[in-house]
Amino acid sequence: MAAIRSDVFFATIPELNARLKAKEFTAEELARSFADRLAQLGPRYNALALPLNQEAIRAAKEVDKELKRERFRGPLQGVPYGVKDLLSFAGQPTTWGAKPYAGQVFDYNATVIEKLAGVGAVLTGKLAMVELAGGGGYRLPAASLTGPGLNPWDRTRWSGGSSSGSAAAVAAGLVPFAIGSETSGSIVTPASFCGVTALRPTYGLVSRHGAMALSWTLDKLGPFAHTAEDCGLILQVIAGADGKDPGSAGKSFYYTPQYARPMKDLRIGFAPVDYAEWAEPSARPAFEAALGVLKASGAQLVETKFPRFPYGAALSTILAAEQASIFEPLIASGKVNELADPAQIAGLKASLEVPAKDYLKAMRLRRLMQEAIVRIFGEVDALVAPGRAGPASKVDQPLDRSVSPSAAAPKDPGFRAIIQAGNLAGLPALVLPCGFADGLPVALQVVGAPYSENTLLAVGREFQGRTDWHKRRPPGS
Amino acid sequence: MKLTRRKLALVLTSGVALAQTPSTPPAIPDDLLQEARKRNQANAAALAGEQIPMATEPAFQFKV
Repeated sequence: MAAIRSDVFFATIPELNARLKAKEFTAEELARSFADRLAQLGPRYNALALPLNQEAIRAAKEVDKELKRERFRGPLQGVPYGVKDLLSFAGQPTTWGAKPYAGQVFDYNATVIEKLAGVGAVLTGKLAMVELAGGGGYRLPAASLTGPGLNPWDRTRWSGGSSSGSAAAVAAGLVPFAIGSETSGSIVTPASFCGVTALRPTYGLVSRHGAMALSWTLDKLGPFAHTAEDCGLILQVIAGADGKDPGSAGKSFYYTPQYARPMKDLRIGFAPVDYAEWAEPSARPAFEAALGVLKASGAQLVETKFPRFPYGAALSTILAAEQASIFEPLIASGKVNELADPAQIAGLKASLEVPAKDYLKAMRLRRLMQEAIVRIFGEVDALVAPGRAGPASKVDQPLDRSVSPSAAAPKDPGFRAIIQAGNLAGLPALVLPCGFADGLPVALQVVGAPYSENTLLAVGREFQGRTDWHKRRPPGS
Repeated sequence: MKLTRRKLALVLTSGVALAQTPSTPPAIPDDLLQEARKRNQANAAALAGEQIPMATEPAFQFKV
């Protein structure tokens, strides 16, 4: 068996594909190495929900047979990956990160797993998550069946949620890529905290069939990887119409970097207050430098005002009403009390009391928000903002604890609500690691109009061609 | 693919999982439930302040 060198664990998808084709190692050897590494190191970060070594090796052997016959299925062929444990994989436990569902087993695969299997990608494990993707409003990083997600850059820090394991596993080189989900921040937050590249696709672009529903009108699945290019290659595979997902937009995605517009033709909106005042002081130099990189690339940075709406109130109301309907049986049965976080239990119970008129008011207002936000993209091609205002919080710190309670909030909201607004409007977002604060990663998010993923990925490629933040590895990895 | 006893046991009896989830359901302090209700009411109040044209339909359609 060929020895897998440690640099392979942080290789990009095209690099792994090239090395498989060059027969540096077989798909089986690659799968064994990654699966063993995930099984061995995943628990160190509470990132592993379920190892799938035997299934991975079986799938990789099939890939080797195909490669031997020179039957090539694309760049993901033979590349190992992991999925957030809210995706069903037939015959194996799918816990949704929650004790009441610890023994749950489905008899079918999620559509994204089927699509990835179709191109020869090799599933090596299921990855940890915040229980029920955190819909009840969790207060503790420990709100998970597998314990608090620990950040590979510093295990005293949180990995972010709710796709905790997906981000941590990619950051630590335990999988080359992973699939996570976002309802409101569950891709952007852990990717920012763990320093990995990730893409939240346009609502409806990726089928959610086989994924736990938290909010039918907000849920999205997307990739975590080492580069923007990797995210494009993954999205091309997992996107597409699916009659099994009522929210499917019926659209495909083709990653076409060759047709990307020159950076000098792109207008990118930003709000100076995000960087000068909302960002935590330790993170401001990294964010300012990242804006400088975008300027140096030729992009025109345009000061932009975000339309004012109660985004947080609307999102919380919609999420509460939809999750109440979805989890009503759990709440009614009393099993909701088995969740790890009391705040989440309380939030789920209270969500049953949200009146229909409030839900519909939020959904009607949402339409006005979508229209106003889409109008911005008549002026700019993308928006850029910090992924999160600062680095990961301490793992023993309640999430509702203010970082600087005495500091007065800036009057200008800037793009402060871009996570909620972007999710309400179904917008895609690309997370790009952009430096460090207090020794921990921070990231930018680039947000675009619906179906503008190729533009966002072009910005990401350019940014990553000029920086090496995405190549940095956590200590000891 | 099949679910082995070993894998099911891993999920059900993992030391980490047991450490994080009490064996008996935790009592939910009443103040936590009240806080959650207050948050919902505050959200409703924030939405109530917004004027919406009568013809505006809910955003059930996301296809562009």
